[in-house]
Amino acid sequence: MRVFTCKDQFEDSMTCIYDAWSWALKNGHENLRLEREPIFQPTLFDEYTHIDADMEKVTKVVRSIQNKISMEAYIDIFYATLSIEPDALDTIYGFLRLGFRVGARVCSMYTDPHVMRILELRRRVGNEAHYFREFARFSAMGDTAYICHLEPKNNVILLVGEHFADRMPSEHWMIIDDNRRQAVVHVKNQENYLRYLSEEEWLRLSRSELYEDSYTDMWRTFFHAIGIRQRENRECQRNLFPIWMRKHAVEFRESKKNN
Amino acid sequence: MDQIITGYTTREKLQILADAAKYDVACTSSGSDRRGKKGFLGNAEACGICHSFASDGRCISLLKILMTNHCVYDCKYCVNRVSNDVPRATFTPEEICELTVNFYKRNYIEGLFLSSGVLKNPTYTMEKMCETLSLLRNKYRFNGYIHVKTIPGAADELLATAGYLADRISVNLELPTAESLTKLAPNKTFQTILDPMGKVSDTIAANRISRGKLPQMERSRSNQYLGSSIFSSQNRVEKQRGYGGTLSTVGDRMLLPAEVQSENRSFAPAGQSTQMIIGATQESDYTLLKTTQKLYQDYDLKRVFYSAYIPLNEDALLPRLDTAPPLLREHRLYQADWLLRFYGFHAEELLTEARPNFNEQLDPKCDWALRHLGEFPLDVQTASYDQLLRIPGVGPKSAGRIMKARRYGRLDFDSLKKMGVVLKRAHYFITCNGHRLYNTPIEEAFITRQLIGTNQRENWQVANQNRQYQQMSLFDYGIEMGGAV
Repeated sequence: MRVFTCKDQFEDSMTCIYDAWSWALKNGHENLRLEREPIFQPTLFDEYTHIDADMEKVTKVVRSIQNKISMEAYIDIFYATLSIEPDALDTIYGFLRLGFRVGARVCSMYTDPHVMRILELRRRVGNEAHYFREFARFSAMGDTAYICHLEPKNNVILLVGEHFADRMPSEHWMIIDDNRRQAVVHVKNQENYLRYLSEEEWLRLSRSELYEDSYTDMWRTFFHAIGIRQRENRECQRNLFPIWMRKHAVEFRESKKNN
Repeated sequence: MDQIITGYTTREKLQILADAAKYDVACTSSGSDRRGKKGFLGNAEACGICHSFASDGRCISLLKILMTNHCVYDCKYCVNRVSNDVPRATFTPEEICELTVNFYKRNYIEGLFLSSGVLKNPTYTMEKMCETLSLLRNKYRFNGYIHVKTIPGAADELLATAGYLADRISVNLELPTAESLTKLAPNKTFQTILDPMGKVSDTIAANRISRGKLPQMERSRSNQYLGSSIFSSQNRVEKQRGYGGTLSTVGDRMLLPAEVQSENRSFAPAGQSTQMIIGATQESDYTLLKTTQKLYQDYDLKRVFYSAYIPLNEDALLPRLDTAPPLLREHRLYQADWLLRFYGFHAEELLTEARPNFNEQLDPKCDWALRHLGEFPLDVQTASYDQLLRIPGVGPKSAGRIMKARRYGRLDFDSLKKMGVVLKRAHYFITCNGHRLYNTPIEEAFITRQLIGTNQRENWQVANQNRQYQQMSLFDYGIEMGGAV
């Protein structure tokens, strides 16, 4: 079996699909697998081929998905590439095999395992993006800029950033993915852009979370005042606001001033 | 103004006024869809966004505060009634604006929920609230979500101004019957509550028509496929409420602040809502649900909220102080409310005069299905959309998926499960290509027993949600590692 591998980026994934497909035309779709790097445990008898991004192939793949299947399918696939699940790329490939055969109705064929899985991936990525739209907390650097740290499982900061670009167009702000060391940067009244942080930038920015002001304190006051004691329900709170997401939420952190 | 104490800091005021506002239920930020604008702060998402969850598991979406907790009224159930001795404070409009804008920029909140006690008289209070909203919208250029509570008895012009500045406007019904209201809220009458509600409802309809929309508020999409939901046209015709007159004809447009008109805002785009206290008086679930349905049909309310009565004051007319809040009953009412708005049920189907309360052990939909076993089992491959929605364990999402999926392939129980059907409830009521999942008898007594068994844990959790318990561990009893042999 041939295994095609690529980096965990949208462009690389699309190129990988292109190359795998053209290989499969000669050798059969059943005889290949797609995986994203890093590969921690290669198998003994499979042959691994690394694929690098090629913009020309990316355009071709994107164009065929949009024209031959549908825009909806393209959005499903885009969300799936942001997913952290190891089988995402292989699922996309399976979905495309079916999609190119039946066309736009592939998105409603819920009884097919690949379709079901891709919708599941889209749902997970979409849900996580929505969680972080809710739970992102910005700290104010004086009055000039707002910085937010997130540690999402899926690569959702682009989606989260889109939401805030509409919400706060006339502020300087930045959303940092602490695990992937990427940041969505928004300059006042301009478009968002994605930046891969260097070591030095990262060290400097990681301190920004310690900034607190009187509003942080007042938010904690409000947060504690608004709960009704007679209805206390920590389990419900944990279900709706999981503990791993609370890491950067200021209301669950003790005030710095008391220490 | 000798009653305004200025000695508190903003933080102390926030403590007092958030604490006083927490018994208000509505914290939704949904129903309004507005893009952001350059130079302004904020937008509004149709789905609504919760930003945190408090210790009671309720969402924190809006900065829920009272403008003041001074109040001249003496409603028996209210913590802020004039005869209670509690710390009192009043926010200035600037303080509210600064708090809202700065919380919003840090993404702590989705907008402002402004309610208030009655300071001096309703009109004076409402005027202060409008001043705050106007400042927030025009000077602070805030474009996010605002929910404002109207004070019953305030002048119509102020109601109109508030409606144009806010996204959602609401007035609390508090109690479902006029008798209970006179008993527990001597300063309010049913008329002072229903009158503004009717006017706001008609103004919303008029404003919607002028913007090229249907006069009725948008409802869940599932309703358009249902022939006989409470929102469908044949059920709307028999509106029993008289025409209240719109606010803009009563309070002339000239009376609105100039800024409001120039912005060309729509009037309360997210509609209006209300809330009722349950458990403080003797009303049955049937009365509550009938009132709810009437409010949806006649006043076109977007939401009706229920609040389980929490005893705060001692009074001969109220339940004793140690009464537990009726949380499971509240939960059942909300489930029934969803059945009205999303599933095409009517209040009369769920409860009757002869059987006026919900079975606390079973959810209303299972309860309904058990009383109508003649309609089951349904075959998912052929059942219509409104039939699918009536199967316990199938919701609008899974029903929609079933409709789509069965056009392209045969369904089986495995794929039903993946589509989100809750088979542990549904399997008693469905067949799939003529087969049932298990060979269970279609017998009321049997299925009731089974479903109660399935629901037991959830019911216990809702009813005992604030009971603290944790996993026992040997270390709690002082047994040291390696010490015990």
